Amino acid sequence: MDGYTSGIITLLAINCIAALGVSLFTGFTGVFTLGHAGYMAIGAYTAAILTVQYEVNFIVAIIAGGILAMIFAYLIGLPTLKLVGDYYTIASLGLGEAIRLIIENWESFTRGSRGYPGIDNYTSMPVAVSFLLVMGIGMFFLVNSNYGRAFKACRDDYVAASLLGFNTARFRVFSLAISGFYCGVSGALLGGFMSFIQPVMFDMAKSTELVSIVVFGGLGSMSGCLIGTTILTLVTELFRPISQYRMLVYGMVLVLVMVLRPEGIMGTSELTKDYIKNIFTRRKKITAADGGAR
Amino acid sequence: MSVMLELKGVNKSFGGVQAVKDMSFVIEKGELAGLIGPNGAGKTTIFNLVTGVYDVTSGEIEFKGKNINKLKTFQVISLGIARTFQNLRLFSASSVLDNVMTAAQQHYQYGFFEAVSHLGRWKKMEKAAREESMELLERVGLADRADQAAGTLPYGMQRRLEIARAISLRPELLLLDEPAAGMNAEEVEQLNELIRLIHADFKLTILLIEHHMDMVMAICPHIVCMNFGAKIAEGSPAEIQSHPEVLKAYLGEEE
Amino acid sequence: MDMIIQQVINGLSLGSVYALIAVGYSLVYSILLFSNFAHGGFLVIGGYICYFALRGAGMGIWAASLAALIGAGISAVIVERLAYKPIRERTPITLYMLIASMGMSIVIENIFVVTVGGRFRALPPVIPTQPVNVFGLATTSAFDLLSLATAVVFLVGLQLFLSKTKWGLAIRAASYNLRVAGLMGVNVNRLISIVFFVAGLLAGVGGIFLSVRYTLYPQLGMITTKAFVAAVIGGLGSLPGAVVGSLILGLAEMLTAGFISSQFRDLVVFGLLIITLIVRPTGLFGKSVGEKV
Repeated sequence: MDGYTSGIITLLAINCIAALGVSLFTGFTGVFTLGHAGYMAIGAYTAAILTVQYEVNFIVAIIAGGILAMIFAYLIGLPTLKLVGDYYTIASLGLGEAIRLIIENWESFTRGSRGYPGIDNYTSMPVAVSFLLVMGIGMFFLVNSNYGRAFKACRDDYVAASLLGFNTARFRVFSLAISGFYCGVSGALLGGFMSFIQPVMFDMAKSTELVSIVVFGGLGSMSGCLIGTTILTLVTELFRPISQYRMLVYGMVLVLVMVLRPEGIMGTSELTKDYIKNIFTRRKKITAADGGAR
Repeated sequence: MSVMLELKGVNKSFGGVQAVKDMSFVIEKGELAGLIGPNGAGKTTIFNLVTGVYDVTSGEIEFKGKNINKLKTFQVISLGIARTFQNLRLFSASSVLDNVMTAAQQHYQYGFFEAVSHLGRWKKMEKAAREESMELLERVGLADRADQAAGTLPYGMQRRLEIARAISLRPELLLLDEPAAGMNAEEVEQLNELIRLIHADFKLTILLIEHHMDMVMAICPHIVCMNFGAKIAEGSPAEIQSHPEVLKAYLGEEE
Repeated sequence: MDMIIQQVINGLSLGSVYALIAVGYSLVYSILLFSNFAHGGFLVIGGYICYFALRGAGMGIWAASLAALIGAGISAVIVERLAYKPIRERTPITLYMLIASMGMSIVIENIFVVTVGGRFRALPPVIPTQPVNVFGLATTSAFDLLSLATAVVFLVGLQLFLSKTKWGLAIRAASYNLRVAGLMGVNVNRLISIVFFVAGLLAGVGGIFLSVRYTLYPQLGMITTKAFVAAVIGGLGSLPGAVVGSLILGLAEMLTAGFISSQFRDLVVFGLLIITLIVRPTGLFGKSVGEKV
C-alpha cells in the first residue's frame, strides 16, 4: 500500500472517530452543537505538548488528550446543558470559539496562532485504525444498550424521558463528555498525523464540517455516520487540487441534504443484515428502522 | 388501609392565573380513583404537580407519607409513581418493544463499562428486560407488533402501549391522564377491561383523569371533581352524579 | 477621560452597526423561531454589490448603496425561497432549517471566494473618515458618527414600518403566532419574504459600513457571530433587545480594546454570551417559551 492511500485511510479513521463522537451527542442525544472542534483542539494540543515537551509515550498522550477534552466537556456541559434548543447551539458556538481564542492567545503555552510544529509523526495507519476499531465497536455497543435507549429517550422527548425516571440533564452531560473524549482523541491523532497544529484548524468551519458529516450520514445512525465520513472525506480528497471548492461543496451538501432528504443517507437505520436484505427484496416492512413520525 | 397519595392545601399559580386552589384529597393504597372536571379545571396540572413537572406554590404533596414537593421528576418516578399523557408521548420513531424496554431497563441496570463492552451483566440484563417487556406486551395484546414503529400503530394501540410502558416501571401509583381520549364506545369498554385487569394483576393504585363519564362512573368507586382549580365535590359515583355543584360545572347554571 | 469618551463613541458606533444586523436576525427569529446563520451572507452580498457598483460601474455612493441594499434584500428572499421554504413546509422542526442556514452561510461565503477571490478589498474612499471634534470633548472620526446616524435612521425607519404600516402590523402579529396570523388572512409566504427582504436590507447597510471599517473579504460575514451574541444578550426575538444587546456588546468590545488589550476583545464577546446564557438565557427582553405538558 503506498503512502498516499495509507494517508487517506489514516485521515479517514481520524475523521470517523470525531464524527462518531458528534453523532452520539447530536444524532443520538439530539443536541445540536457547533463547537465540537474545540474539544478536538484540546485533545490535539494536550497530546502535542505532552509528546514534544515532556516526551510522554504517544498512546498515553492521545488518551490523555481524550480525557482532558472529556473533562472540559463535562465541566462545560454542567451549566450549559440546561439550555434548550437554539440557545445551547449558540452557546456551543461561543464556547468553541472561546476555546480557540484562548489557545491562540496563550502564546507561552501553546505557541499561539502561528501553530505548534514539530509533533512526532506517531499517527501511523495501524495506530489510527486500531483506535477507530476499538472506539467504534465501543460506540456501537454503547448505543445498543440501556445508555443508548436513555440517550434516545432524551432526544425524542425529554419530558417523557424524565417521566420514565431518567435524569435527562445527567444523561445529556454524560453524552457530551463521551463525545468530548472521542473528539479529543481524534484531535490528538490529527496532530500526530499532520505533525503540526494551528488554532485555525479547529475553528467554526471545522465544527460545521463535523456536523455536516453526521447530518449527511444520518442523524441517529452510527453506520450512516461512518458511511457519510467516508464519502465526504474521499470527495474532499478528490477536490484537493481545487481546494477552495471544498468548503463550497460542504455547504451545498448541508443545504441539499436538509432540503431533499433531511434524514441523511441512512436515516435512523443501521446497516444490518436485515437492512441490506430489505434493499434487495424491496419489501416495505414497517420496522422501527424506517417508520414513525419524527 | 394506608395512604398512598395525599394532597394538603395545594395551590399553584402561573403568574396571575391560579390554576389550582387549596386542593386536598387522599388516595388510599389499592384504590381505583377518578379525577374529573370540565376542561381547564386543573386536573392535568395536579398530575404535573405530583410528578414534579411543576413546583407547588404552596401546600404539600405526600407520597406514602413522605413529602415530595421538592423532588425532581425523575426522583418522583423512582419512588414508584408512573404516568401517561393526555396527548400521548411515545417515542414514535422507536419500536414498540424499545418503548417498553426503555422503561423496563430501570430495573435491569448495568454499568457504563459493561455497556461499551457488552460484557459482564449486559447479556443477562438485556435478556431479562426484553423478556419482561415482551411478556407485558403479550398481556396488553401488542406482542405481535413488537418491532413496529410506535408512531405507526393505530391510535387505540398507541394508548395501550403508553399504559404498558408506564406499568413496566413497576410503579405503586399509576396516574392515567385521559386514557380514553378519542376513543369510541367499544374501545372504551376494552380500555375499562384493561384498567380493571392491570389494577388487579399488578396491585396498582390508580388515579385516573377522564372525560368519559360512563367510564369513570363504571370503574371508579371514589371520584374527586374539580372546577376552576378547586375541589367542588368528592365521593362515590352516585354522590357525584347528584351533586349540585357538579351539575352546575358541567351543565351550567340555570338562568 | 478623553479616551473613555472616544471609546464610548467608537463602541456606540460599532454597536449601532451590530444593531442593524442583530435586529434583522432577531426579526427572522421572532417569526420563524429559528436562528438564520446565513444572515452574515446577506451582509457580505451587500458589501460586494456596493464595492462593484462603486469600482466597476462607477456609480455614486448613493446609487451604489441603494443597489447594495436592494440586492442584499433580494438575495435574502432568494435564500429563503430556495432553502428554507421547502423545509418549513415539510416539517415544523426548526433544526433542519438551522443546519441548512449553516450550509447557506458557507455556500455564500465560498461563492465569493471562488468567483472574486478571498483577498481584502478596500472600498473607494467615498465615505468621509476625517476626524471630527465632538463638542470639544473628544475627537472621533466622521465615519463613526455617520454610521451611528445611519443606523439610527434605519432603525427608526424599521420602527415606523412595524408600527404604522399594514405589513408591519402583520409582522407583529406573526411574531406572536405565525399560524394564527395565517388563519387571520395574512399571506404567510409573502410575509416571510418581506421579513427576509427587510432583514437582508438592514444587513446590507451593516455590510457597507463594516466593509469600510474592516475592508471587504468573503469571511466578513463571520462578524455576524457577534451580532448573534448581541441578539442573544438582548433576548432572541426581541427587537429592542437586539439593539440594546448590540450597544452593550459594541461598548464592551471597544472599552476592552482600548483599556485592556485588543486580543481580549473577542474573548469578552464570548464571555458575555456565556454569562448571559448561564444567568439569564432568555436575555434581557426575550420571551421564555414554556412547554405545555
